Amino acid sequence: MAAIDVSGVIKQFGDVTALQNLDLTVEEGEVFGFLGPNGAGKSTTIDILLDHVRPTAGSARVFGMDAHDQTVAVRELTGVLPEGYGTLGQMKGRTHVEFALEAKGARGDPDALLDRVGLDGVGHRQATDYSKGMKQRLMLAMALAGEPDLLILDEPTTGLDPNGARTMRKIVQEEADRGATVFFSSHILEQVEAVCDRVGILNQGHLAAVDTIDGLREAAGATGQVRVTMEVVPEELVGTIEGLDGVTSVSIADSTLTAGCENRAKGEIVHRCYQSGTIENVETSEASLEDLFVSYTGGGA
Amino acid sequence: MSWLAVAKKDFKDSLRARTIWAISAVFILLSVVIAYIYGSFPEEMANGAATGEGLVFFLASNITLFVSLTALVIAYKSVAGERESGSLKILLSLPHTRRDVLIGKIVGRASVLAIPVVIALAIGGAVGSALIGDVAVQALAALLAVSLFFTFAYVSVIVGLSAMTGSTTRASILTIGFFVLFEFLWGIISIGIVFVSNGFNLPQEAAAYPDWIFVVNQVPPSGAYTTFLYALVPSRTGSAAEIDAFYGTPWIGAVVLLFWLVVPAVIGYWRFSKADL
Repeated sequence: MAAIDVSGVIKQFGDVTALQNLDLTVEEGEVFGFLGPNGAGKSTTIDILLDHVRPTAGSARVFGMDAHDQTVAVRELTGVLPEGYGTLGQMKGRTHVEFALEAKGARGDPDALLDRVGLDGVGHRQATDYSKGMKQRLMLAMALAGEPDLLILDEPTTGLDPNGARTMRKIVQEEADRGATVFFSSHILEQVEAVCDRVGILNQGHLAAVDTIDGLREAAGATGQVRVTMEVVPEELVGTIEGLDGVTSVSIADSTLTAGCENRAKGEIVHRCYQSGTIENVETSEASLEDLFVSYTGGGA
Repeated sequence: MSWLAVAKKDFKDSLRARTIWAISAVFILLSVVIAYIYGSFPEEMANGAATGEGLVFFLASNITLFVSLTALVIAYKSVAGERESGSLKILLSLPHTRRDVLIGKIVGRASVLAIPVVIALAIGGAVGSALIGDVAVQALAALLAVSLFFTFAYVSVIVGLSAMTGSTTRASILTIGFFVLFEFLWGIISIGIVFVSNGFNLPQEAAAYPDWIFVVNQVPPSGAYTTFLYALVPSRTGSAAEIDAFYGTPWIGAVVLLFWLVVPAVIGYWRFSKADL
């Protein structure tokens, strides 16, 4: 059974179509990255899973349960880190976590959850006085309450410093190891790339691509780059390298030759450069997912 | 019993709001002053015959304005404001139903408002009774019960109205509109109805007014509150006693308060349950 099964969902807000016939399946135990530029419909999709918003057409199921008719059962199995930096109200940080545990009917140590998200020692303070990053950590602690089978994280790293983002990645990994399904929405590619098994790219209300990170990278075509900096780049070298198998593009800027190529061609390129002059530096890189993302979303990222 | 968790949260949350305690302090002080005046100047206040029951009706006059105004202040944003800020999504990401949230907010906020009501009645009742030298235990208990019922009904109306919209601006228009219509304009509307039904002419004397206008006058929660109080203090007779019809009973006040307790909240829930947050 799929953890999330969205089928043919259309959502219109007045004249605006937020989702156009969205189909999406997330398997149990998977860490799924839900990528898309702002306004692509990521939050609307999550809102439909949680019954905050009702689809105009189509259906959404979580662990086989209808997201609207069985919403309380769905939310009993789900931990949610909502978008934004809100709090529940004028309560201490620790009380927030206690409230989540109580709502889930779960036993658990609120202090341990606060520790886990890096809020140890501040649980007695009013949550409304927390910084943005702290509020987001607090919401994560509430999401983790009661060991949910599904974790929905809506833009979980936007308010976090690099340290917090690292904690977030670690927790996502731990939750996945425990067997939880993680649904991770973001407009920041690196965050998703670091933790997700599969990625779906949402653009203008429909899914533009779904694949593993490697799969997407392959689909990107030119799979890598090699940049060779030489004392002097001989003119004729460009033609030589362009003729090599697996090379898609060659350019020279200052004394650096840049070749877009498949990984297997990189050695031959460096070898030819070595034969024709003095190499000062060699850099290689994977194809940029950013480029891929941009190509799928029309530069909207 | 998920509404209970929401109610407890909302209760603690509202306790922290300073506005309510500022208004409450004024109200409690006013209740004591009223009790003091009634007990100290029986000649002017009760034609020389101040009684414990008279005191009860004197104290009641102070309740309606305070409860209606404070309910408005503490509850008009209760649902609409949280929808606007998005904090309702946090609450509803947990396994609470929207019905639990609505009931929890009504019970939580009404309980907060009940605190100054109980304090004011306790102190006012004690001061007044001591000055008069007469304790009308049953009437004081009736005053407390009816006042708490009124408090819950009024908060329920305001929360129900707040649940009908996702905008704080519209919520404030709805709730202030309700307050103005039923607390200020209703008397004029009532007279207007008599005027129209009497062929665009006002009857010359009060006795010539139709009996059913009594029912119209019970529509505002405050009117129903006072009438209901007469039902529980039988030694006093309100205007219901002058009416010879099946509705000529002070219990109509209880029916009307029950209506206000339930109907706006049900309509608010109906709208809220269908809304996109």
